[in-house]
Amino acid sequence: MSETNVQVTSVRKRFGSVQALGGVSFEAETGITGLLGPNGAGKTTLLRMMATVMSPDSGSLRLLGHDPTDPLARTAIRRSLGYMPQEPGFHRSFSAFAFIDYVAILKEMTDRRARHAEVIRVLDLVGLGDQARKRIRALSGGMRRRLALAQTLLGDPELLVLDEPTAGLDPEQRLRFRELISDIAVRQTVILSTHQTEDVATLCNRVIVMDEGIILFEGTPSELAEIARGRVWAAHERDARATLSWRTGDGMHRHIGVAPPGAHLIDPTIEDAYLLLVGHRVVAENVA
Amino acid sequence: MSWHAEDELLQRYASGALDAANSFSVEAHILACDDCRMRVPRDTTRLDAIWNGVRGSISAPATRFTERLMRVLGINAHTARLLAATPALSTSWLAGIAATLAFIILASHNKSGDPLPFLLVAPVLPLAGVATAYGRGVDPTYEIGASAPMRGLRLLMIRSLAVFVTTSALAVAASFALPRVDLNAAAWILPAVALATVCLALSTWLSPLRSAVIVALAWMAVVIVSLAVATGPLRVQTIAAFREGEQAWLAATALLGVLVLVVRRNHFERMDR
Repeated sequence: MSETNVQVTSVRKRFGSVQALGGVSFEAETGITGLLGPNGAGKTTLLRMMATVMSPDSGSLRLLGHDPTDPLARTAIRRSLGYMPQEPGFHRSFSAFAFIDYVAILKEMTDRRARHAEVIRVLDLVGLGDQARKRIRALSGGMRRRLALAQTLLGDPELLVLDEPTAGLDPEQRLRFRELISDIAVRQTVILSTHQTEDVATLCNRVIVMDEGIILFEGTPSELAEIARGRVWAAHERDARATLSWRTGDGMHRHIGVAPPGAHLIDPTIEDAYLLLVGHRVVAENVA
Repeated sequence: MSWHAEDELLQRYASGALDAANSFSVEAHILACDDCRMRVPRDTTRLDAIWNGVRGSISAPATRFTERLMRVLGINAHTARLLAATPALSTSWLAGIAATLAFIILASHNKSGDPLPFLLVAPVLPLAGVATAYGRGVDPTYEIGASAPMRGLRLLMIRSLAVFVTTSALAVAASFALPRVDLNAAAWILPAVALATVCLALSTWLSPLRSAVIVALAWMAVVIVSLAVATGPLRVQTIAAFREGEQAWLAATALLGVLVLVVRRNHFERMDR
């Protein structure tokens, strides 16, 4: 099997009058690839295609060396796939253990002893080992998210597709999640979507910035930060010439945009670059 | 302590190659001697697996009544777990079916004693169950299930069959409370089978709920047409579907439904468009 475990080629998708994906192409190999973009960028649609839940209008995908449009190949992909949807649904009267057990059965683990041991293993990985008997309706939002992550780890899949896995987690939980994913991604391919540039900075080997159904950037996180080089400056007063500006904690104003001559340039962060790429929408909304 | 176990001895002890007498003395020693106990070779992977297995057995929820009942009926544990997640097999759903049946049985205790109300409604109850056994609208884990390797057809068939059998069993039990229990009281069974199989066949094209609605409307149409062309008093035999001759058509429809289902079975694995 080639190193590129995920190949997406010219994928398009339309829902009624909305062009969700307008010709998206990229490749992902072992490690963590982050999809960064605002709501409506098309991240969920793309992830659903990679989870073999949805098919594109045109273009093709190649997942773990298989073509998902072929039914037999699709089942083969699904045997090595873990998927965490954006809105994971639960049978609320189930316990945490029973829910993971149920998903394990859907993943064709019929041997009860082996299955139960695997359920405990993944619950431990996400730190829910001692909550196994608790009913899902009694679990907090953060715990439910971890539960949704746990089911993706069943059977040690080669490909993990995670839709906004850190949404709703507090900083400590997010840190724990990042540690967990880093451990797993040594051997596996992880594709995750996020709003948080911090997730990208600390976690992703590669990042893809998307907006309005197209890819605006593909590369490493440091390459992303570099595109804002020379376009970020600080000043004591707010400068109206900037595309975006905001007040930072130390009382200075940070600006992004075409820097006026003599401006005090500062090192760009991933967030600066991200705002540079998609921030025009924020500006337009403010003006309107 | 004067004597300590050598590594080779501990190795043989751990792998079970040591005879009983020597095993006992090694064991007695390591219970007392921390150093030697730490030197016993461990297969951590195997130990973890065993420990997880133990914790799994402890943490596995006590099987609920419905699951235990299924095991008694010969259904294996993992199928029973899949069925336990079916909304149409929940206590509240079955209670609703029971209540509906009670109501229509009462309605059948009319002057003529004809079980017409019962026969008209009974085929629709298993259909309603089958419609809610599987699908995006009723299964909260549908999205996760859609990306899982288990064939959608298998899940659908397990659940639909279980729901059909359970609901029909309730209806059969209820029919013994009819004023007159004769062969007429069973006339609803073939229509029920036909409706359910056509619904499943249609769901290879449409969603289960939509298919069920179409089939239910078709049944209503058949009944209304029969009533419209009827002359004389309203009896069971007025409805074409309950006449002995016409029941052969229902059997044929059911078989056609099964055939379509078998031919188009891969369509349950389809990805959303």
